[in-house]
Amino acid sequence: MKGPVPSVRADAVADMARLMAAYPAGFGNRRRAAGLLLLAAAVGLFTGFAMWRLDFSLARILSGLGRLADFSLMMFPPSAGGRFWIYLQSLGETVAIAFLGTLSAALLAFPFSFLAAKNVIPNVFVHFGARRVLDVIRGVDTLIWALLWVSVVGLGPFAGLLAIACSDFGALGKLFSEAIETADRRPVDGVASSGGSRMQQVRFGVLPQVLPVIGGQCLYYFESNTRSATIIGIVGAGGIGVHLAEQIRVLNLQDVSFLVLMILAAVTVIDVVSTRLRTALVGRRAAPLG
Amino acid sequence: MLELNGLTRRYGSNLAVADVDLKVEMGAFVGVIGRSGAGKSTLLRMINRLSAPSAGTIRFDGRDVGALKGAALRAWRADCAMIFQQFNLIGRLDVLTNVLMGRLSHASAMRSLLRLWSDVDRAIAFVALEQFDIAHLASERAENLSGGQQQRVAIARALVQEPQIILADEPIASLDPRNTRVVMDALGAINRRYGITVLCNLHSLDLARSYCDRLVGMAAGRVVFDGAPRDLTDDVARALYGIEADDAAGERQAAPEPRSPALARAVAVA
Repeated sequence: MKGPVPSVRADAVADMARLMAAYPAGFGNRRRAAGLLLLAAAVGLFTGFAMWRLDFSLARILSGLGRLADFSLMMFPPSAGGRFWIYLQSLGETVAIAFLGTLSAALLAFPFSFLAAKNVIPNVFVHFGARRVLDVIRGVDTLIWALLWVSVVGLGPFAGLLAIACSDFGALGKLFSEAIETADRRPVDGVASSGGSRMQQVRFGVLPQVLPVIGGQCLYYFESNTRSATIIGIVGAGGIGVHLAEQIRVLNLQDVSFLVLMILAAVTVIDVVSTRLRTALVGRRAAPLG
Repeated sequence: MLELNGLTRRYGSNLAVADVDLKVEMGAFVGVIGRSGAGKSTLLRMINRLSAPSAGTIRFDGRDVGALKGAALRAWRADCAMIFQQFNLIGRLDVLTNVLMGRLSHASAMRSLLRLWSDVDRAIAFVALEQFDIAHLASERAENLSGGQQQRVAIARALVQEPQIILADEPIASLDPRNTRVVMDALGAINRRYGITVLCNLHSLDLARSYCDRLVGMAAGRVVFDGAPRDLTDDVARALYGIEADDAAGERQAAPEPRSPALARAVAVA
């Protein structure tokens, strides 16, 4: 062969006109660029409108910054004011509420999520119905559930536990069923082909795939609930939130910052532990062979 | 020239590749043969630096490839394209975009992230697709293609990288005989037309003999044979594959002798 060394680039450049004529759909960025620009413009316009409608004002943030500084100064130094043991006990209560609440929500959501998964229950009425049940439960916020249960079982941590169990049943049920739906079908076919029943297909084809995801979601919800359990406490459903609400009301900001730090420490500990647990759940992959 | 010196990879106490010395001339079509677990995949992955060597050096034209980092490492990877047994395409993206992945190291970051490829890049992708008769599938989702078509997309992706070397890791192991020939012919065509060096892991001795101009046999992580296909005698093959040698050579097709007396009787009666 004469001339320059053959390369795909040289081939392409020499043949450019014919290629562009033969595959017009494959060339040109104009449509894609126009689409991207339009999208950016639409997002920009909507953001602008929402800011205008919600009275967004940088000036107000700037003028308020001084007060924020005052507030922050009043928080220093954090101090328990001699109530450390009471606070610690309440923090324990909060963690207990979050743990039991998440556990019962997960235990309820786990079987229910299979009903809501399209690939497990092909019957449209069953999985559609199960989905709507989850929607309705999830539609009511944890805080509303807490108010509801406080009026049913009275003030205290039990109401908080029930509130978390209810609202997270909806949330976890949805997340679990979505994890189940994205599961690979091939292992299920493998079990079915060797004569496994529907139940066995789910047990051995689906479950091993989704268990790490579901476990990770439960652990995250435990951590997140430790934080939201403090808010539930504000409406009287027990835990450290009760103290937090009280100290904010009397502007005892040193105690507030102390309580916040305690919650932060608890959440960090939970995060560290759950990271370990999740790694154990996912398991280490074997080294690839040659 | 690609030079491997004392290349070794350990997994725990397990030696996947042990002290491999190898020189590959540019433009060659080299088959790496051996049974599963002999270290062939690990060897190719180390050359592309997808796996880090435990010891030894990789040199290309005198340059120490093992020490490359950052942009230089990415440039080296573009220079030695990889083809995988399971194709490793992005199933949810169309064929054209999958092939254009091979142009990533040539395109600017902004353009590639927004998928605003230049017309030259697109033309290069189409030239590659046309060579393997799959240009009409350019707008299909990669996951909807058959195995043979997907592997041809993967080879097109490798080709548009304008690499010096193509590392093919069992490219035909999940394909039927017809597609096997199509894919191996595609690799051969690239090797001849563009002078791209091909290093290809293969199970089948027949294929290795008919497509490669040099064979490297591996067993237990070591190179135990290195020579022309005609030097690969049956004895060498048996040493490489053990009792599998006949299977791998695909020569004797006789049915195995029945083992149990009951079975033997049944066969005799039939």
